[in-house]
Amino acid sequence: MSGGISPGSADLDLEVKLAVYRHFAATGKRPSADQVAREVSSDISSVAEAYGRLRAQRVLLLEPDGRSIRMAPPFSGVPTQHVVETGTVTYFANCAWDALGIPAALGAPATVRSRCEQSLEPLRLEVGLGGPGRSDWVFHCLVPAARWWEDLVFT
Amino acid sequence: MLFFRSEAQVIEWCRDRQVPVRPLVTLEQLWGLALAWYATRLRSESRRPQAAEMVEIFAGLGLTGEFWDPGSRL
Repeated sequence: MSGGISPGSADLDLEVKLAVYRHFAATGKRPSADQVAREVSSDISSVAEAYGRLRAQRVLLLEPDGRSIRMAPPFSGVPTQHVVETGTVTYFANCAWDALGIPAALGAPATVRSRCEQSLEPLRLEVGLGGPGRSDWVFHCLVPAARWWEDLVFT
Repeated sequence: MLFFRSEAQVIEWCRDRQVPVRPLVTLEQLWGLALAWYATRLRSESRRPQAAEMVEIFAGLGLTGEFWDPGSRL
């Protein structure tokens, strides 16, 4: 048998991905590898291997330790300027796109708090099930689509 | 990927950093992108759009040109 993904790894990867995303959705915070291992009834080493495969699939972005989640888009594992609040949970988004991505993923209304990057004027945007209310604010992305994943933190 | 109060603020920001001004996206278009990328993200069948799908999504929102082409050398 050649090397690579074992027969059961795809199932584990899906379980790990869902555990990560459900933890973010429920708490607004990144889960530890230990928490994910318990959730999927596995061990930390197997979870770390799954993280690596999910990184290769561009599902997760990891910290240098390989076991801490920096991004599970649209959720950020670290505080950012893009804050999303539902009635009960506060989230951090990776960027302006992801700030709208969180209510889209949750299927729930939310308040987005961010800022104009030039003037630093605060943005407060109510996002309903049908999207944000009328606004003349704009979104700008410096990096072309072809290079988004070269350096996702910068993008 | 940032919010700006207006196009003028984008132009100032880019000028200060000596970087090109890219195509602006309205918040209505951004909501379309958010839905396309993330509406199913918490479900087991979720997956990221592939390159050809990205082009279709962008075009459906009126976002066309080399900047939005994942196969571009821009």
